[in-house]
Amino acid sequence: MSSIILPGRRRGFRDKFSRLHWPLIILLTMIAGAGVITLYSVAEGNWQPWAMKHGLRYLAALGILIGVAMVPIRYWMALAYPTYFAALIALALVPFIGEVNMGARRWIEFGGLQFQPSEAMKIGLVLGLARYYQGLRAEQVSHLLYLIPPALMVGAPVGLIFIQPDLGTALLLAATGAIMIFVAGLSWRIGFLGIVGAIAGGYAAYRFDVLKEYQLRRITTFLDPERDPLGQGYHLLQSKTGIGSGGLTGKGFMEGTQAQLKFLPEMQTDFIFTVFGEEFGFVGAVGLLLLYLAVIFAGLSIAMQSKLHFARMMTIGVVATFTLYVLINTGMVMGLAPVVGVPLPLVSYGGTVMLTIMAGFGLVMSAYVHRDQDMYRSGDSL
Amino acid sequence: MAGVNTHDPERQEMVSRRTMLFGGGVTLLFGGIATRLYQLQIANHQKYLDLAQENQFNRRVLTPLRGEIVDRFGDPLASNRKNFRVLLVPEQARDVDAILDKINKITPVSEEKRARIMREIRRRGAFTPVQIADNLSWENFSKLNFELPHLSGVLPDVGETRDYPYGADAAFVIGYVGAVTERDLASEESDEERVLLRQPGFKVGREGLERTYEEELRGEAGAMNVKINAHGRVIEELANSAVPPVQGKTLTLTIDSELQAQAMEILSKPGERMPDEPQSAAAVVMDVVTGDILVLASTPAFNPNDFNVGIDPDLWKELNQSPYKPLLNKPLSGVYPPGSTFKLISAIAAQRAGVKPNHSVYCSGRVWYGNRYFHCWKRGGHGNVNMKDALKHSCDTFFYDVAKTLEIDLLAETARKFGLGQTYELGIPGQQRGVIPDRDWKREYFAGNPAQQPWFQGETLSCIIGQGYVTSTPLQLAVMSARVATGRAVRPRLVRAVGDLILPAPEAPLVDVDQDYLAVVRAGMNAVTNEYGTAARSRIDDPDWQLAGKTGTSQVYAITAEDRARGLAEPEDLPWARRDHALFVCYMPYENPRYACSVVVEHGIGGSRAAGPKARDIMKAVAEKDPASRAPLDPRTLARAAGVRES
Repeated sequence: MSSIILPGRRRGFRDKFSRLHWPLIILLTMIAGAGVITLYSVAEGNWQPWAMKHGLRYLAALGILIGVAMVPIRYWMALAYPTYFAALIALALVPFIGEVNMGARRWIEFGGLQFQPSEAMKIGLVLGLARYYQGLRAEQVSHLLYLIPPALMVGAPVGLIFIQPDLGTALLLAATGAIMIFVAGLSWRIGFLGIVGAIAGGYAAYRFDVLKEYQLRRITTFLDPERDPLGQGYHLLQSKTGIGSGGLTGKGFMEGTQAQLKFLPEMQTDFIFTVFGEEFGFVGAVGLLLLYLAVIFAGLSIAMQSKLHFARMMTIGVVATFTLYVLINTGMVMGLAPVVGVPLPLVSYGGTVMLTIMAGFGLVMSAYVHRDQDMYRSGDSL
Repeated sequence: MAGVNTHDPERQEMVSRRTMLFGGGVTLLFGGIATRLYQLQIANHQKYLDLAQENQFNRRVLTPLRGEIVDRFGDPLASNRKNFRVLLVPEQARDVDAILDKINKITPVSEEKRARIMREIRRRGAFTPVQIADNLSWENFSKLNFELPHLSGVLPDVGETRDYPYGADAAFVIGYVGAVTERDLASEESDEERVLLRQPGFKVGREGLERTYEEELRGEAGAMNVKINAHGRVIEELANSAVPPVQGKTLTLTIDSELQAQAMEILSKPGERMPDEPQSAAAVVMDVVTGDILVLASTPAFNPNDFNVGIDPDLWKELNQSPYKPLLNKPLSGVYPPGSTFKLISAIAAQRAGVKPNHSVYCSGRVWYGNRYFHCWKRGGHGNVNMKDALKHSCDTFFYDVAKTLEIDLLAETARKFGLGQTYELGIPGQQRGVIPDRDWKREYFAGNPAQQPWFQGETLSCIIGQGYVTSTPLQLAVMSARVATGRAVRPRLVRAVGDLILPAPEAPLVDVDQDYLAVVRAGMNAVTNEYGTAARSRIDDPDWQLAGKTGTSQVYAITAEDRARGLAEPEDLPWARRDHALFVCYMPYENPRYACSVVVEHGIGGSRAAGPKARDIMKAVAEKDPASRAPLDPRTLARAAGVRES
C-alpha cells in the first residue's frame, strides 16, 4: 500500500453532513426506539434499569456513527489491515490475560475498560477482507492461491473465538466472511465445495467431541425442545408461548403475561423479540422485520452505489453481520435456530453490540458520503 | 503495476449481481421468519394462548382439615393442632446440602432424614415443596424465620397435624395416621385426590378407625387460583376464585374417654404379688342395652402421636419385640381360652340338653373318663353341687359330668348365640374370631389327618370348661356377658355418628333360647361376687350397682410331676409366658342390667385375684359416672357449632 490518488476536491463538513443517508438513520432510530419501548415494558413500566440507558446509548452511538461517516473512506481503507491485526492480536491475548466470565474467557481489560476483542473482530474482519478484495481482480477471486489469505483471515479469528468458547460469535464471523467472499465473486463450484466442507467439518466436530457439553445440548434442544420442557427446552418453549400467545395484534403494550411474569429468561437481551412479539403481535413483529429489511436494502443499495470496491465490500460485510444478527436472533427465539446467545441488533440491551453495529453503519455511511470517490490501485497485494 | 485504476467494471458488475442475489436470499429468509411468526401467532395462536394462561394461573390445593374423632360427649380423641414446619422448594435452593447444614444448627436433621429429603426431592421434581422439618417449637420456628434471608428456597409454613390428646389411652380405638406412601397414591383413583395426597406433610389413616374411616375423615380439598411467575412465586392470590376446603366429617364414638383413661390406669396397675411385672391386659365395657362400647382398653399401649410424626426406628423395634405386645389390640385381636367364664355358656347348653338346674353332682376333685382323670381346679372337691353352686364355685366336676353326654354341636351353637366365635363391625381391622369347636370345625381343622377328624367325647370335657380348642377375644366375652345379662342378642358398636348422621343402635332381638335358662346362670354369677363365691373380693357394696360376675383361669402350661419334683410349687415360679391367663366377665346392676365388662390379664395366674379386682374397679368407675344415663352428644349440635366457628 502506497500513494493514494484522490479524484475531486475535498468536501466540507457541512456538505458531507447533508450527504448523509438520512432515511437509513431514521430507520435505525425507529428500530432503537422499538428497543426503548420494549425495555420500558420489560422493566414493568420503568425507565430503569434499561430503557433510559438504551436510548442514551443509542444517541451516543449515533454520534459515533456520524463521526465515523465524516472520515474519508480512504482513511478507513488505510486503517483496515491495522484494525484487523490489532483485533487479531487482542484475540490471541485473551487466553492469557482474559477475564473469565460464566465459564468463558472473552474479555480483556484495557486501560480500566473492559473490552471484548471478539466484538472488535466483527469490524476488523469486515475491514480486512474488504481491503484484501480491493486489490484483487474479478478473475483472481476464485483462484485457489488468492483464496488462501482470506481463508486464513477468517479462519484465525474464528478458531480463536471458538476456543474461548463462543460458538455463536465464531459461527457469525465465519458466515460473514463466507458471504463477503461469495459476494466478491467466488465461483459457484468452489462455494459449493466450501459448503460441503463446512458440513463435513461440523460433523467431525460433533463426532470428535470438539463441542462443549452445553453447546451440544443447545443443539439437541433446538432439534427437539419438547423433550426436556423444564430444562434447556424450557426457555424456548416459553419463548414460543410468548410469541404465539401474542396473536395478530398482540396483548398490548406492557400486557404481555409471559414477559411481565418473568417466564422468559434474558428478556432484556436475547429474548427481547419474544416480548415484542407477545405485546405487539404479528402486525408489530412483521413491522419490525420490515424495518430491518429496509435497513438491509438501504445498505445493499449503498454498496451498489459505491465506486470504491473496498467500500462496496465493507458495506456488504457490515450488512451481512447485521442481517445474520437479525436472522439468528429471531430464528432462535422461535425455535428455528439453536439458542446461541445472539442479540437482536439495536433492540436488545447491551452497549458493546450497539457500539459495534453503529460503528459498522458509520463505515457504511462513510461509504455513502464518499460514494463518488474511487482510487487507483498502486499494486497487487500479492 | 503501480497506478492502475481500481475501477474494474467486471468486478463491479460481479459484486452488484452477487449483492442482488444476497438481497434476494435475505428477503427469502425474512419471509421464512415471517412465516414462522404466522405459524406461531396466527395458525397456532390458541395453543400458545392456552399455554400462556396455564403458566400464569396455577391451581393451588387448599388442604382440608382432617375430621375430628370425639367421644360420646364430644371430647376430642383425635384432633388437629398447629404444626410449625419448614418446606424447601428445591428449584429455588442453590445448595440443598448447605441449607440442611444451616437448619441442622437450629433443629437437628439426622442423616436418615437427610437421605429421605434427598430422595423425595429426586422423586417429586424441583417444583414441589418438600417438608424438611416439622413440629418445631415456636422458639426454633422464630429462629428459623430470622435466618430466612440466608436460606434461599426455604419456606416457613404453619400446617396442621394430627393430635391425639389422650395419647396411648385411646391408641387402639383410634389407630393413627401416617405419611402417604407410593401404594396409597397408586390405589387412589382420581387425580385430584392424588394431588391432595402429594401435599407436603399430608397424612392418611394407617390403623384403626383412622384407617377405616379415611374417606369420611379426609375431607374435600379446596382450591385457589394463584397467579405465579416463572419461579413459582405467587404474585397474586385470586381469592374470589377460591373454593374453600371442607373439613372431614366428625366421627362420634360410643367411647367415654374419661372412663377409657381410668380403665387404662386400672389395667396397668401391677398385680399384688408381682409389683414389677408389667400388666399385659385388656378390658371392654359395654352398654348392654345399646351395645355401645364405652371402654376398649389394652395395655401396654403405644402412643399414636409417635407415629404421627414418623416413628423413631428404635422405638418401633422395641414395640415390635416386646413380649407384652404393645402393638396388639388385645380386646379385639387377642385370643385366649375363656376358661371358666365359658361355664355361662355351658350351663345354658346343659339346660338345653335337658339338665335341670337342680341336677346335683358329687365332686370328689376328679372324674374318670375315657382312660384318664379330669381334675377339678379344687383338689379336694366341692362335695354335692347343683348348677348354681357349680357356677358360684366354678366347679369343673359338675360340668365334666354334663359333658359326658352333651353334644358338642349344641354347646358350640349356644356359644355362638351368645356372641362367641364371630367378629363385629366396629371399624377396627384385625379382629380375631377365636375358635368355637364343633364336629364340622374339627373335620376341617384336621383335614390332613383322618384319624383325628371324628369328635371324641373326652374333648367335650375340656371344651365345657373353656379349655381345649375353645378360644375367644375379650370383646366376645363382654358381648357374652351382655347377652347373658339381658337375654338379648346385643351387638357391640363403636361409632355413634358419622358427621351429623346418627347411626341407630343395632337391633337386639331376644336370644333364641328359652329365657328361663338364663335365670340360674345370672343367679350363679351373682353368687360368685355376692355370696362368697370365687370372686367375693370383687363385690361392689353399692346396692344400686350390684355386680354379677364369673372368674376364669385358662391354662397356658400344665405343671408336670417333673416340675413339682424340681420344687416348683407356686404359679409365680413359672416364667411369665407360662403362667395361666386371668379372666373375668361381669355385668351390673344384677337386677335390670346396664353395663357388661370383660377383663383379661395375660398370664395373670388367677381370674379371681388378677382380673376380678380390675373389673370391679373399672365397673365402680362406670357406676360412679353412669354414662348411659347422661345425654350423649348430638353430633348435629356439634356440626352447627363448627359452622359457627368457621364463619
